[in-house]
Amino acid sequence: MKSAKWENIFKGWNRSESDTVLTLKQVPVFKDFSDKEFSELEKLIHHRSYSNGDYIFKNRAPGEGMYIIMHGSVKITIGTRANNENVLAELGEGDFFGELALFDDEPRSANAIATSDADLLGFFTQDLMTLQERNPVLGQKILFNLGGVLGDRLRGTNSLLIKAQSSDAD
Amino acid sequence: MNNPQPNYFQLIYRIIITMIGVWFLSIVWPFISDVVLMLVFAFLFTTVLLSSVDALERKIGNRGLSVLAVVVILLGGIGTFIGSFISQMSQQAMEFSNRIDKETLTKEFATLGERFTSALPGFIQNMQPSNSDMAGKLSELINTVVGSLASMAGAIGNFMFIAAMVFIFTIILLAEYHGFRKSLVNAIPNKYFEVGLKLIFNIEKSVSSYLRGQFLSAASVAGMSVAGLLLLNLFGANLTLTFFIGIIAGLANLIPLIGPFVGMIPAILIAFMNNIGSEAAMAHMLFGVIPSPFFILDIVLMFLIVQQIEGNLITPALVGKSVGLHPMIVMIALLIGGTILGPLGMLFAVPATGVLKVILTEVAFVRRNAHLL
Repeated sequence: MKSAKWENIFKGWNRSESDTVLTLKQVPVFKDFSDKEFSELEKLIHHRSYSNGDYIFKNRAPGEGMYIIMHGSVKITIGTRANNENVLAELGEGDFFGELALFDDEPRSANAIATSDADLLGFFTQDLMTLQERNPVLGQKILFNLGGVLGDRLRGTNSLLIKAQSSDAD
Repeated sequence: MNNPQPNYFQLIYRIIITMIGVWFLSIVWPFISDVVLMLVFAFLFTTVLLSSVDALERKIGNRGLSVLAVVVILLGGIGTFIGSFISQMSQQAMEFSNRIDKETLTKEFATLGERFTSALPGFIQNMQPSNSDMAGKLSELINTVVGSLASMAGAIGNFMFIAAMVFIFTIILLAEYHGFRKSLVNAIPNKYFEVGLKLIFNIEKSVSSYLRGQFLSAASVAGMSVAGLLLLNLFGANLTLTFFIGIIAGLANLIPLIGPFVGMIPAILIAFMNNIGSEAAMAHMLFGVIPSPFFILDIVLMFLIVQQIEGNLITPALVGKSVGLHPMIVMIALLIGGTILGPLGMLFAVPATGVLKVILTEVAFVRRNAHLL
């Protein structure tokens, strides 16, 4: 029989654990992962909290990895001042950004700013390298899924380009 | 246009704070040095064993059991090695004592001294004590050694305590490593988070690749020493326990500069014990020219060759590259480490300099990119 007292004591732990895994399950980079693989991944994931208006990273800053939004919202912008700020995307729970930094040493190509108090999960190049060393199968799976995500984004960009070209021709 | 004025007050404040910090550290260091040393050793052992524990945990799904299994296997291996070395060594010593009585031993030493003296140039011969003096000095030396056994027992007790504490710290670190690491990472402010994470990763990488290089280097010394000793046996050196001697030489090699010489000692002892009383071994000449009673010079030469191969070919390739330090910096680090902490300082000098290099690189990086963080 379950004891309510013990459930209360451990409730926070279980909720936090399942929240992380639930968020990770929404991310296509980690699709088709087994529960065991999620628990392995969870050990490497970093939890970070940001206040409304905090920079998560700045444009041209060296990039180390990707972030997944667990709670709150984030905007991706170009331009540093309020009058020339160009918002590229508004992201919410379950969305992810910065994944290009997992592949290259290039600096960040935009700013990421919290638009509310936000809890993020961070997955970084070093974590991917550690995973690749410890569990190559899981590392390969992430790289393969990341390739799929980047392919989707490239297709999206291509179709936007084709649309823009055809509207120019009209 | 206003030129930014250097903030002298801030500079003076920083210098004063640094000086107070150094002064405070120098006061508390004698009290905490043992604990720091234990933690450093525990961290190094954890770095070595971590991947085995992680791999086992993935298989059996229990961290505690994985740590226990790895520790038991390790202790079993060390125990088996030490136990069988001691038993074979004592068997060897018993055979030696059965074979040789006190008079024969004194006579052999006297002959050895005579041969050694006759091999020296004339003017040095005149400066040498007579053979009887030499035997007397030897017995004096033995008496001194026996006298210092009591102080040795105290040192062994202290060593056992430190070893036990390092063992306990290692077990705790192995069990909680990922938790500790996460706590450390969580403590980094958001602004420096990615840089801090990279710094921790690079320090881990530097230490683990240094250790991997060192162990490969030690294994190569062990292998070459065994091969060399077996080769000497082909020429009649009559050496036993070659496998153990090789492993001891390999392990001793982990301590830079003095380690390789420590490795020679058991080989010379065994050569002496096995060959005492043998006229052929006493009359042995290295390359048929240089007198080398009991193959002692052959053994020294063999270890010198192994040391040269290891020092000039293997270590630069495996260890030097692993920490990315210039050989000159390695030598300076070894000298400073040796001056401050003796052999232990020499053991830690290279990885500590490697870690310092990683930290300085990241600090320089943060200073360059401060406006982007």
